[in-house]
Amino acid sequence: MGISTRPNTAGVWIIVPAFNEAKVIGDVVGDLRSVFANVVCVDDGSRDNTADVALRAGAHVVRHPVNLGQGAAIQTGVEYARNKPGATHFATFDADGQHRVQDVLRMLDRLRRDDLDIVIGTRFADTTVSHTPPLKRLILRLAATLSPSSRRLHLTDAHNGLRVFNHTVADQLDLTMSGMSHASEFISLIAENHWRVAEEPVEILYTDYSMSKGQPLLNGVNIVFDGFLRGRMR
Amino acid sequence: MWIQVLLIAAVIALLVYLLGSRTNAKAKAGVKVGYVLFVIAAVYAILRPDDTTVLANWLGVDRGTDLLSYALIIAFAFTTMSTYLRFKELELRYARLARAVALQSAKAPES
Repeated sequence: MGISTRPNTAGVWIIVPAFNEAKVIGDVVGDLRSVFANVVCVDDGSRDNTADVALRAGAHVVRHPVNLGQGAAIQTGVEYARNKPGATHFATFDADGQHRVQDVLRMLDRLRRDDLDIVIGTRFADTTVSHTPPLKRLILRLAATLSPSSRRLHLTDAHNGLRVFNHTVADQLDLTMSGMSHASEFISLIAENHWRVAEEPVEILYTDYSMSKGQPLLNGVNIVFDGFLRGRMR
Repeated sequence: MWIQVLLIAAVIALLVYLLGSRTNAKAKAGVKVGYVLFVIAAVYAILRPDDTTVLANWLGVDRGTDLLSYALIIAFAFTTMSTYLRFKELELRYARLARAVALQSAKAPES
């Protein structure tokens, strides 16, 4: 297949957790595959044909037999990719088309240039024009401020689905929160394992589709409480 | 008093049932000891209900009934919490099992 693989993308694995995304997953995987050779789509027990569409678009497909949640899907994708020979870098990328492939490339460059373990996308850097709806923006900023690890690491957007990381992070990653609280758990793991972290401004494409699939704001309450409980699970 | 006979029979039946279960011997031993103590206290309270009021007064509570309802609320909250944590732990094991199954049947694209 005529894929123009850039030299610095050969060992990169893109992890796309997907649940009932058959409508858009084909385009998302296709876009990614035009730049990256290795894309793994984790179908989180979808009821539609997400897995078939992703496979046809050129992604590796790992299919959860039951729906487990986005955190579990990311963990599955990382475990699949980190055992592949030649894998050096990993990225998580939402399946609903809200992320841009060029942001991943920029984050990869940043990871290599600044010798970091993980780069997280942020919607709230001062330099970017933000298209985040005001209420959503307020809640997300509040979540970042309430999280002790986010504050300590000076992170402004804990719930961005776009992350790029190296093999160290992939090997040590063990997400235990299966649902939407995995984003805060990810941040806590960064603090606990002393991974070198930085933020990179990214743009989120708030389409009608991604807005309808997005988590309701009330879920923020669950995320905050799960964060408190996590310490008791170990 | 028939109610006393019924209540005592009930707590002893529960004790026999609990002591008869053999799952996870070490972790359950503490629970079994605690339950034996509970049965002794329960039988005593059933036979001499007024003594709970004496105990309640020592603790600064007016009636034995109130003391029992406080104890019940604490026990209920404790049970709810431990059940919740147990469910979380089971969910995690279940996720890991499903993940192992998923990874075994992964499909690579043809190219």
